[in-house]
Amino acid sequence: MFLHKGKSFGFILIFSLILFIFIALPFFIDLFYQTFLTELFVWILFAISFDLIFGYTGLLSFGQALFFGLGSYTVTISILKMGLNTELALLLSIIIPMIFSWFVGYFSVKLSGIHFVIITIIFALIGNIIGETWTAFTGGSDGLTFSPPPFRLGLFKVNLIDIKGNYYFVLALVALSYLFLRRMVQSPLGKVFISIRENEDRARLIGYNVQRYKLIAFLIAGGLSGLAGGLYSLTLKYAAASYLHWSISGHAVVYTIVGGMGTLMGPVLGAGIVMSLEHYLVNFLQATDLVVGIVLVFMVLMAPKGLVGLIQSKLKRKEASA
Amino acid sequence: MISNLAVAFLNAVVWGLIMALIALGLNMIFGLLHIINMAHGALYMLGAVVAWYLIEFTGNFWIALVVAPLFVALVGILMEKGLLRSIEDKPITTIICTFGIMLVIQQLVLTIFGGSPRRIAAPIPYRFQLFQLQYPLMRVVVAIISILVMVGLWFFLRKTKYGLWMRAVVQDREMAVGLGIPVNKVYMWTFILGSALAAFSGVLAAPIVSVDFMMGREVLIMAFIIVIVGGMGNLEGSVIAAIMISMIQGIGALFVPPAIATVFALAFMIIVLLFRPQGLFGE
Amino acid sequence: MPETNKTILKLVDLNKAFGGLLAVNKVNLSVQKGELRALIGPNGAGKTTLLNLITGTLRSSSGQIFFKEKEITHLHSHQISHRGIARTMQITSLFSGLTVFENIWAAVQSRKKFFNPFIRALKWQDVKEKTDSMLELTGLKDKAQLISSELSYGDQRILEMGIALSTEPDLLCLDEPTAGLNSQESMVLVKKMRNMLSGQTIILVEHDMGVVMELADNISVLHYGAILAEGPPKEIKENEEVKKVYLGSEHA
Repeated sequence: MFLHKGKSFGFILIFSLILFIFIALPFFIDLFYQTFLTELFVWILFAISFDLIFGYTGLLSFGQALFFGLGSYTVTISILKMGLNTELALLLSIIIPMIFSWFVGYFSVKLSGIHFVIITIIFALIGNIIGETWTAFTGGSDGLTFSPPPFRLGLFKVNLIDIKGNYYFVLALVALSYLFLRRMVQSPLGKVFISIRENEDRARLIGYNVQRYKLIAFLIAGGLSGLAGGLYSLTLKYAAASYLHWSISGHAVVYTIVGGMGTLMGPVLGAGIVMSLEHYLVNFLQATDLVVGIVLVFMVLMAPKGLVGLIQSKLKRKEASA
Repeated sequence: MISNLAVAFLNAVVWGLIMALIALGLNMIFGLLHIINMAHGALYMLGAVVAWYLIEFTGNFWIALVVAPLFVALVGILMEKGLLRSIEDKPITTIICTFGIMLVIQQLVLTIFGGSPRRIAAPIPYRFQLFQLQYPLMRVVVAIISILVMVGLWFFLRKTKYGLWMRAVVQDREMAVGLGIPVNKVYMWTFILGSALAAFSGVLAAPIVSVDFMMGREVLIMAFIIVIVGGMGNLEGSVIAAIMISMIQGIGALFVPPAIATVFALAFMIIVLLFRPQGLFGE
Repeated sequence: MPETNKTILKLVDLNKAFGGLLAVNKVNLSVQKGELRALIGPNGAGKTTLLNLITGTLRSSSGQIFFKEKEITHLHSHQISHRGIARTMQITSLFSGLTVFENIWAAVQSRKKFFNPFIRALKWQDVKEKTDSMLELTGLKDKAQLISSELSYGDQRILEMGIALSTEPDLLCLDEPTAGLNSQESMVLVKKMRNMLSGQTIILVEHDMGVVMELADNISVLHYGAILAEGPPKEIKENEEVKKVYLGSEHA
C-alpha cells in the first residue's frame, strides 16, 4: 500500500535498505567476500549501463565488453605506464571509452535488428584481437598488473590497496551511477529513449531524431561501462585482453534478462543472484555457466520480464484482490 | 614463395568451403525461420565432439561423419520443437534464448569431454607435392566432400518436393499454409538440416583444427558475418562470401600478421554492413 | 488544383519507382490551408506511398515537395515532423507497451528542443498540461493509465490521431482511419474527427466512400500512381472515368 504514495517513496526505502546492508556487511564478512562483493558492484554497474541501451532504448549490443575492456586498460596503462594519478586515470576510464563508443555508435546506430547486434560484436572482436596481439602495449592474454596509488579528492583520500577501502570506494561510485541513471530514465531524455524502444518508427514520425538519441544512449552506456572496467582493474589490480571479448557482454545480458530489463533494479537483482549462484555452484561443478545458461533460457521463455516483472505482477495481483 | 602462396590459397579454399557449409546451415535457419541461432557454433562444436567419441568407439572417421550430424540433428529437433517454437516471432528473445542454449551445450561438453583440446587423426594421411611443399590430401578430400554436399543441397532445394516447400514458405508463409504445405514440418526439417550441416562441418574440420569445447565461438561470428555479407536468405551468396572472406584472411596472413588480416576482414565486413546491409548479393 | 497564396502543400512532378515499378507517377497536387483533401483510388494505386513521400518515410525518385513554400523533398521524417506535418498509419502504430498518457506525452514532448536528463519528466508542467488537454480532446482521459495495446481497436485509432495532433501540425495526413471499423464504429470515429480536427488542413486517404463524401472539400483520385481526376465531391461522383475505375468495389 505504500506504493500508492508514489513510486519514489518505495524506491527510496528499498534503495536505502540495500545500501545500508552493503555498508554494514564488511563488518561481518571476511576479506574474500568483500572482494567478491566489490566485483559484484562492478558487474552491477556494467549491467545497469547495458540496461540503459537495451532495456530502455531497445539496442541489443553484444559489444559493450569493448568499452569495459577499454576502461580497464585505460586505468591500468595510465597508472602503470604513464604514471598518472588514480583520479585522472579513473576519469579517463570514462572519457576514452566514451570517445570509442561515439565512434562505434555513430556507425552502429545506422543499423537495426540483427545487423546492429552483429556490427557491435564485430567492433568488440576487433578490439579483442588488437588487445590479444598488441602484447607490448596490453600484455596480451597475460595482461598487466599494477598497483594504484591512493585516490585523492581534495582532503578525501582512499587507499585502494586496502580491501575495505576499495569496497566502499566502488560501492559509492556504483551507487552514485545508479542514482544518475535512475534520474535519467525518469527524465524527459529517458522518455525519448523509451519511445524509441517501444516504436522506433513512430518516434521518428513524431519528430525525434532517433539516430541522435540512440547515439546519446550508446555514449552514456559506453562511459559507464568504461567506468565499470576501470573500477574492475582498480579492484583486481589487473587488466587483460580477455575482458574485451564479446562473451563478457554476455554477462550483462544474462543479469539484465534474469533480473528484468528496463527496470534498473532488475540488473542489480540479476547480477546479485546469478553471481551468487555461480559462486555457490563452483564448489560442485566446473561448468557454472551451465546453470547460468539454463536459468537464462528458462527466464527468457517463462518470465520475459525477469524477476522484477514476476514480483511486480505478484504485487499487482495482491492489490487487485485487496 | 609460390609454395607458400599455393598452400595459403588451398587452405583458404578448404576453410572457406567448411565455413560455407556452416553458413549455409545458419542461413537456412535464418532465411526461413527468421531464427537468429546463436547456438549454431555450439552445434558445429558438438558435431566434432560426438565424432571424436564415435571414432574412439569405432575407429572409423567416415562412420562418424555420417552419424554425428544425425545425433546433432536430434538436438536440433529438441531445440526447435521444445524451446524456439513459442518465440519464433520475437527476434531479440530468440537471440537471447539461443545464447543461453549455446552456454548450456558448451558447458555440458566441458563437463563430459573436458577442457583440453583433443586431436582427431586424419583418416587419409597422405600428402602430395605442391610446388616445394607437401600438402595434406585430406584437406583436398574435405574440399571435395564440401562441394558435393553443396551440390546435393542445391539439388534438394531445387528439384525435390521438400525443397520446393521450403522455398515456398520463405517466399510467402501464409500462401504456403493456404496451399496445404505442412509448414510446421517444413520448419522442423529446415532446423534439422541446418543443424546437421553445422555438425557435418564440425566433423570435417576436426582433423584440421583440434576438438575443444570452445571451438564454436569464433566460428559462430564468422558464420553470421558470412550470412549477412552474402545476403540473408541468399544461399549462393553465402558460399561466395565464405570463400571470399576466407581468402582475405588466409592470403592476407601471408603478408601481414594474421591478426591484422583478420582485423582487415572484419573491417571490410563493417563497411559492407553499413553500405549494403542486404549483403553483397542480396536484394 | 490551382495554386493560391494559401497553398500549404505542393507536389511537383513527384515520382517514386521501386525497381521497374512506378508507384507514384508524375503527381502534381496542391492542398490549400484549411482544406480537407481526400485521396482515393483502388488498392495499390499509390496512396500510402504518396503519404510516405510527403512524410519523408520514403525518398522520392524525382520531383519536388513544397510545404509552406519551402522545399522539403530531401528532408528526413523527423525534420518534416518539425516543419509541421503529422501522420496516422493504416496499421495502427502506437507505443504499444506504454500507457495512453505516456503515448500522448511522448508526442507533446517532441516539440521541445532540449530534453533535460536531470529533472523528473512528470514535473514538466508545460508538457503535462498539454498532455492533459489532449487527453480531454480525444476523450481518453479516463483511460489514460491503460496500456495502449489493451485499448479497443477504435480507441487505438483515436489515440493515434491524438498522438499526431499533439505534434501541433499544420498538415495532418490520415491513412485510412476507418480501416477495420464497422459502419457504426466508423460513424463514431467521424463524429470524433469533426470534433478533434476542426480547422486542421487534412489529407485523408480513405476507402469508405461514405466518409469521403461527407468530409471532403476536394477529392484527388489516384490510379496506377497518377492523378486520374480532381475536384469537389459532386464532380468526382459524376466522373465517368472514376466510375469505371471503381466499378462498384466500394459503396458510394
